[in-house]
Amino acid sequence: MRISDISRLAWEQVKRRKVVTGLCMAGISIGCAAIIVALSIGDSAQSYTEREINRNFKMDEITVTPNGGIPSQGGREGSGASATDAKLDPGRLTAQKLKIVQGLQHVTAAAPFQELGYIQMTTIDNKITDLQLIGTDLRLLTKYDHRFKQGGPSDLVGMAVLNDGATVGLIDTETRQRLFEQLNTDPYNNKLMEQYNSLSMLPSDMYKQQVQLQSYDPASQNGQSLVSSPLQIVGILDSGGNPDMAMYDKKIYVSLETGERLVEQLKLTNGTAGQKDVYNSAIVKVDSTDNIVQVEKLIQKLTLTTSTNLYQKEAIADQFSMIKKAALGIGVFILIIASISIIVAMTMSTHARRRQIGIMKVLGANMGQIRNMFITEAALLGMLGGLLGIVFSYLIVFGINKLIGTAGMGMGEPLVITIPLMTLPIGIAFAVMTGVLSGIYPAISASRTNALTAIKRD
Amino acid sequence: MLRVENVTHSFKNGNETTAVLHQIDFSVKKGEMVALLGSSGSGKSTMLNLMAGLMKPTEGHIYIADQDIVKMSENKLSEFRRKHIGFIFQAYELITSLTVRENVELPLVFQSVSPSIRKQKALALLEGVGIPDKADLFPSQLSGGQQQRVSIARSLITEPSVIFADEPTGNLDSKTEEEIINILLNLNKKMKTTFIVVTHELKVAEQMQRIFTLQDGYMITEKQTSSDTELEGGKLIED
Repeated sequence: MRISDISRLAWEQVKRRKVVTGLCMAGISIGCAAIIVALSIGDSAQSYTEREINRNFKMDEITVTPNGGIPSQGGREGSGASATDAKLDPGRLTAQKLKIVQGLQHVTAAAPFQELGYIQMTTIDNKITDLQLIGTDLRLLTKYDHRFKQGGPSDLVGMAVLNDGATVGLIDTETRQRLFEQLNTDPYNNKLMEQYNSLSMLPSDMYKQQVQLQSYDPASQNGQSLVSSPLQIVGILDSGGNPDMAMYDKKIYVSLETGERLVEQLKLTNGTAGQKDVYNSAIVKVDSTDNIVQVEKLIQKLTLTTSTNLYQKEAIADQFSMIKKAALGIGVFILIIASISIIVAMTMSTHARRRQIGIMKVLGANMGQIRNMFITEAALLGMLGGLLGIVFSYLIVFGINKLIGTAGMGMGEPLVITIPLMTLPIGIAFAVMTGVLSGIYPAISASRTNALTAIKRD
Repeated sequence: MLRVENVTHSFKNGNETTAVLHQIDFSVKKGEMVALLGSSGSGKSTMLNLMAGLMKPTEGHIYIADQDIVKMSENKLSEFRRKHIGFIFQAYELITSLTVRENVELPLVFQSVSPSIRKQKALALLEGVGIPDKADLFPSQLSGGQQQRVSIARSLITEPSVIFADEPTGNLDSKTEEEIINILLNLNKKMKTTFIVVTHELKVAEQMQRIFTLQDGYMITEKQTSSDTELEGGKLIED
């Protein structure tokens, strides 16, 4: 019997028996939709969490530091080695090595992020805040998921860029002094703490402002400060993270040249500060987290130390793998329940059609042909149920997205559930499989129908 | 063509055994058209079921085209029926979801014959039974007589060795009954197909070449008729 004929006969039955078709399709579509929605939620939630974690933990970046494990001169901390010794130190993070890293496959950016230390920033109107001073190539900042909220990068000496955290919590010296003193004398005063917290989160417009950096002079006997030459704020970065968390991440970025000048003015001794073309830290941006390990290995061959936050991704993947399995389990459970409805509906249909089956047998259909016809019919019901399930799943996801949108997530970009295309064939495959498996019993039962029923009249 | 040898059949009802056919012997030649006549409960339907391989006799042998169908397995019998046996039912037994043409084609579907050949044969047979214009209609759109014509066309499509007709005119009025019998007689004459017509009506049986009469499970008479000479020459369909 030709496949086209089996399919046509099965389709005729599916079309004709609308109630049975409707019942079976309803059951299967619910199961199929459950699988698709469950997988989509799992997948979207994983992507969303990965994106959010990537934003905070930068999983697609490799932090490169000098190789501290080299016993001789060592790359870390200004060891006071002579210039000749320093040149021989194989663990140093140099501009030359960074250039090699920049040329590696999958590397989208590699820039020094020279950590010059934690210092105090003072504005013209005498507001101060503590922040981390970083020397880097300002033009490459946007390559590291930074977005300029205001302004942009500048090559000129004396220019600086602030991250959004550095623009909040600027308090004038007197207020700050007074608050600290009051908190010291009354540390459990909630009102004072609230006042301090609200001031810490208060934003200031720093764009195009002039600031000065100051550090305590270690050589000074009476605790005098060293003050830098004025810096012009040419850009404010929007890191896109949670604004409540921004106050804990305050950074000022300057060009490497400006950094050298500040090291000199503020007598900074952090890491390799002051050494030309030698850095204490660099960040390498990789095109995909999938290539991190490969790039990391290559960087390590340059006798450099690397660290990544990739373990976060693995942890998420492990967690979501469990969630996805559980979701799939729920979907399969619903399909099993749905399959019972198919078995019942198809068995009833078989019973109602036993005369027709008998006639077919009298006309020469063998058991295998009858069985195949019923299994094809069940598979067809499964496929139709699966297609309906896809429609349902889109409606359900649309509803969930509306609900999430109305509820609002409150932080970062909203979670939008999308149905990955790969889940559609998975849903259909499960639906067809359920149809076929549930059709086996009715099909065998049908094929065993006695042909005699065809010519016997009740 | 068909040989029934010493066939006995009985049913078991608890501890009790009821014999419905007793040592039946007869044979039908190729191209012959015979009637199996009997009243209700005479055993004629059981005899038809046994000859069609739908039941197995308690004793005896049934040969069709020199093959003993009693010894055949279920699947072998299906294959045998497909090739050698045609059926015409009292209630036509057409598949309501298929068109007239598709119903006629159905036995060939089980033989995996290509759609184009099937269609060609079905249309020729529908023309042969006088309803070429009904090919695309559904059975429910046809009268009883037209449905029986479809059933006749379906029985012929595999060019079987023998066609069993079970009360083919049982559901029809006398005018249509005459038409159907004439179609069968003409087909028998033209195509030399062997027909075994089971009926309880003497009027129908008398139009066959021979009559086997059954009564209470016994073959009581075998009568030769002269009906084959009464056909109207050349014309297959008589409206």
